[in-house]
Amino acid sequence: MTTLIIDLAVTGLITGLFYALMAVGLSLIFGILRIVNFAHGEFYMVGAYAYTLISLVLGVPVWLALPSAFLVGAILGWATERTLMRPLYAGYTSWGLMRDEYAVIVTFGLSLLLINLVDKIIGPYAMRGPSLVSFSRMHIGPVFMSGDRLVAALIALAIIVAVSLFIRYSFWGKQIRAVAQNRLGASLAGIDTARASSLVFALAGALAALSGALLSPVINATPDVGIFPAIKSYVIVVLGGMGSIPGSIVASLMLGVLESFGAVYLSYQYRDTFGLVLLILFLLFRPQGLFGEKGREV
Amino acid sequence: MTNARTRVNIEFAATGVILLIVALLPLAVSNDYWLGVLIVSMYFAMCASAWNVLAGYAGQFSLAPAAFAMIGAYTTGLLAYHSGAPPWIGILAAVVVSSLIGLVLGRIVLRLSGPYLALTTLAFAEIMRAVISNSINITRGDLGLEVPGILQSRLGWYFLFLAVLTLVQAGFYFLLRARAGLYLQAIRDDEIGAASRGVEVVFWKTIAFALSSGVCGLAGALYGHFAHFVSPELGLISQTGLVIIMVVIGGMGTLAGPLIGAFLVYASSEMLRDVGGWQLVVFALLVILFARFFSEGLWGFVRRLGLPRNHRALVAGSGAERKG
Amino acid sequence: MACLSIRSVVKRFGGLTAVDKASFEIENGELVGLIGPNGSGKTTLLNILSGHLVPDAGEVLLDGAPIAGLKPQRLAERGVLRMFQLTRVFRRMNVVDNLLVAGCALGLTQAAARTRAEQLLADMRLTHVAHLDAGNLSGGQSKLLEFASCFMVPPRIALLDEPFAAVHPTMKEIMAEFVRTHHQAGQTFLLVSHDMPVVLELCPRTVCMNAGAVIADETTRTVLSDPAVIEAYLGGAAA
Repeated sequence: MTTLIIDLAVTGLITGLFYALMAVGLSLIFGILRIVNFAHGEFYMVGAYAYTLISLVLGVPVWLALPSAFLVGAILGWATERTLMRPLYAGYTSWGLMRDEYAVIVTFGLSLLLINLVDKIIGPYAMRGPSLVSFSRMHIGPVFMSGDRLVAALIALAIIVAVSLFIRYSFWGKQIRAVAQNRLGASLAGIDTARASSLVFALAGALAALSGALLSPVINATPDVGIFPAIKSYVIVVLGGMGSIPGSIVASLMLGVLESFGAVYLSYQYRDTFGLVLLILFLLFRPQGLFGEKGREV
Repeated sequence: MTNARTRVNIEFAATGVILLIVALLPLAVSNDYWLGVLIVSMYFAMCASAWNVLAGYAGQFSLAPAAFAMIGAYTTGLLAYHSGAPPWIGILAAVVVSSLIGLVLGRIVLRLSGPYLALTTLAFAEIMRAVISNSINITRGDLGLEVPGILQSRLGWYFLFLAVLTLVQAGFYFLLRARAGLYLQAIRDDEIGAASRGVEVVFWKTIAFALSSGVCGLAGALYGHFAHFVSPELGLISQTGLVIIMVVIGGMGTLAGPLIGAFLVYASSEMLRDVGGWQLVVFALLVILFARFFSEGLWGFVRRLGLPRNHRALVAGSGAERKG
Repeated sequence: MACLSIRSVVKRFGGLTAVDKASFEIENGELVGLIGPNGSGKTTLLNILSGHLVPDAGEVLLDGAPIAGLKPQRLAERGVLRMFQLTRVFRRMNVVDNLLVAGCALGLTQAAARTRAEQLLADMRLTHVAHLDAGNLSGGQSKLLEFASCFMVPPRIALLDEPFAAVHPTMKEIMAEFVRTHHQAGQTFLLVSHDMPVVLELCPRTVCMNAGAVIADETTRTVLSDPAVIEAYLGGAAA
């Protein structure tokens, strides 16, 4: 019995780590631009494809393909911000859509564009990403785990820690936080807010792409593979508090564990809806999430 | 002084022209396949129109229209499957059920806006789809339900859909040219300002939700009987995505836009299917471009073309270009 | 019976008392100015009067009936109409429609509202931009539009929140003229403003607030030369 519980907990935590890669990026975007990026799942998808194609088609070793996918995600994120997100803060109000509408429509459109583009160019059939390591099952204490998953989880953990440290202590991290708190004030203080936004989007894209790459051996790449993780990450950023990195991390782990236990003890069929129900409840009764700031204009 | 009323009158006239063309198309198109394509376009046109009232006029950007079509389809499907109810009762029930659920959803999201509203409706839509998919004993889950038809001839279905679509458009026209149209747009542009002027924000938002979901439910129910089949796939987010594409391309916040968008996107989708099918990529690009540069959509183009230069300013409406 | 009675209204935000037992009355047909340095609680009080905030204590009576805590829609129905400091217009609707919303929401038919709107637009000298979307108006024009929206149906009392702030003198004069004329015809106003010359010119009586409390309530000339008021503006008894 205890083995089962530990097993479920570990599985949940590991799943949570992968969720966190997606959620942290989304949270950062919200913090700096106050929008939900509806194309976030597609950054994940592009990462999965980039990793798979670069290693399988170009013959690049997996340990190079992985950072390449990270880079591809970064470029995609950066390009998205430069071309589409400028109107949100460049004082450009000459279109007939309100800010929020614009953000939803444009990111939604981007999502559809990427999904269909990949579907047309690469094809709709699933592609299995190469494993990172060759050993499969191994023992960690009382728990069995696939080596691949373990390595991927460790990489995810390392990256999350790195990003947290970056945001906390680095020069650009502080700039990003300043812009997130007060855009106008930050620009008055001489911070290049446009650069900060681009950086955030690039980082978010990279993290999501990494997540897709790491999971591609298990969750094979298809054009719409990103829709599911995207929905999870929306749930998480709401639960954790939009714009809060620690919140996203905590909420990711919690959701992973909740789903893990819920699938066994509550309902396997509805394991994916627990998060959705929580999302609605939180948005109604505690919109700032667990760690977000109250008083945000909802 | 021209104002929104004039604008909606012009739009309704255009709608009438479009519907007339659609009515006459069977003279040129007689094969069942293409009639079927047009019928499905009309299904989307109803959903698009409904979503446009909610999002384009009232400003509530919901991601649930496809879910309501699915709810409507399953209401009539389940009634037929389990109790042998005749389709007319099923369709009526579908409208009532989707409206009621829409009303409840509307009350739930009252205090939400922007991406929070979108996320909540998205979550709602996915939960609904999960419930229907998983209630295998009742709904047969992903296998779907067989649903009895109503008419034998495809042409008959064509005109049935057209009649319902016309009624829906006329209904929206009468709603939007009245004070309700003004209130919805005011709510969209500034809820607090609207309330301060005396507009019953709660009431109108709720009505918008109920109406929009009711019409989607109606469309779904009709489609179910037409296709002789309902499945949870009706409620996929990608279906909502299609509806949104259609409205944005056609012109959000206009009466004729959703119609134009629905026919254009769906029919051309089918026409280009054999030729390589990059149409969805093109449409997604158009959505982005239109959102970025020209939110009035295709209807906006049409309107501007039809006006002499010095009168263009007169028909300022949703999203007129800003000077400088 | 006074038109509007404000009795010992209190509003706190956390540890800060924004409105501290404010009391004064406004009679029918009065044009009362409300002044005070930044942070004195004027806007908070106005928010309470227009239904956007609920007071923690005290009463507000409109023609003797309590209205504190009623929603803005209810207050608008009863004739309490408010102009905002940060202009609130319906940006994607044209100028005429902006006014129609205000008129129809208070019971006018679209036809009657149109007629009234035409009149108001002429008064505000906005007829030449009537067809433009409100979002395309200049700042001053938007202010005039919002100002006009309060008068589609003659209100019981018009609450004007800094209508003259950062506005071109021409438009200031248009609004001032409107206030003057309608005041003479019996319209009741509460005018919040920093613009002393205009307050002096328009308002026979002025209330001054500081640090949430009412510190003066007399004829405008007296209030403006009251040492306590001058002290409040120049510092000393800080908010």
